[in-house]
Amino acid sequence: MKIKLELFGASRDFSNKDHLEFDIQNNLKIKDFRKEIINYLDENFKGNKMFKKIVENSSFCSEDNNIIKDDYKITKDQKIGIIPPIGGG
Amino acid sequence: MLHTKIIDIKDEKIELSKAEKFIASSRFGASVYFVGTVRDLNNNKKVIGMTYDSHDPIVIKSFEEIYQDSITRFKYENQAVFIEHVKGYINLGEISILIAVACKHRDQAYELSRFFIEEIKKRSPIWKKEHYQDGESEWLEGNPIQVK
Repeated sequence: MKIKLELFGASRDFSNKDHLEFDIQNNLKIKDFRKEIINYLDENFKGNKMFKKIVENSSFCSEDNNIIKDDYKITKDQKIGIIPPIGGG
Repeated sequence: MLHTKIIDIKDEKIELSKAEKFIASSRFGASVYFVGTVRDLNNNKKVIGMTYDSHDPIVIKSFEEIYQDSITRFKYENQAVFIEHVKGYINLGEISILIAVACKHRDQAYELSRFFIEEIKKRSPIWKKEHYQDGESEWLEGNPIQVK
C-alpha cells in the first residue's frame, strides 16, 4: 500500500517536499508505521537522534482529519499526517 | 457565538477591529482581548521573527471543540468568542493570535479568555519556528497533542 505522509512542524525538516512516500504492508498499525518512519530516517539521516525523538513523540491523523491511535490499522492507500509536539499561540 | 479562522499571512493580517465588531453587543458587559505577539528573546537568543505552521482543518476543529467544552464547563448564559491564528512568517512584535471574548460579567470574560489560550496550546496542532539574529532558526519543542 502506498502512504503519503504529510509533514508538519518540526517534521518538515525530514524532506524538501511537504510529504514522504512509503510503500507498506497491508493492515500495518500506526505503531508499526512509526517504526518504518524511524527506519527511513535512520537510513537517510544517519540516525539523527532529534528526528527519531520527533517521531517517537508524534501523533498521527487520518485524511478525514481525525487523530488516530497507535492501534489504528492502515487498510488502504491513503494520506496520513504526522503531528509532532505542538505549541501555538 | 464563535468565529474562527487561520490567517495566511501572505494574504491578510489579524485585525483587532474585526474582533471588536464580532463581539460587540449590548448583552455583554465585559470584553477581554488576548493578543499573542512575537517576543525578542528566547533562551538567551535574539529572535527576529517566527514562522507558524498549522494543520488547518484540525486546528479549526479544535477551536470548535474548545468552544463547546467552554459552554459545558462554564454554562454562561451568553458568550461571544473570536479566535484567529496566523500561519506563515511574521516579524518581531507582530500578532500571532487574537482571542477576543465577551460575556455578561468581567470574571466570566477573564476566565473564558484564559481557558481558550491554555486549551489551544494543548489541543491545536500549531507549530513555531523561531528565527534568530545570527541567521539560525529552530522549531520549538512543544508538547504532544492532547486529544479528548
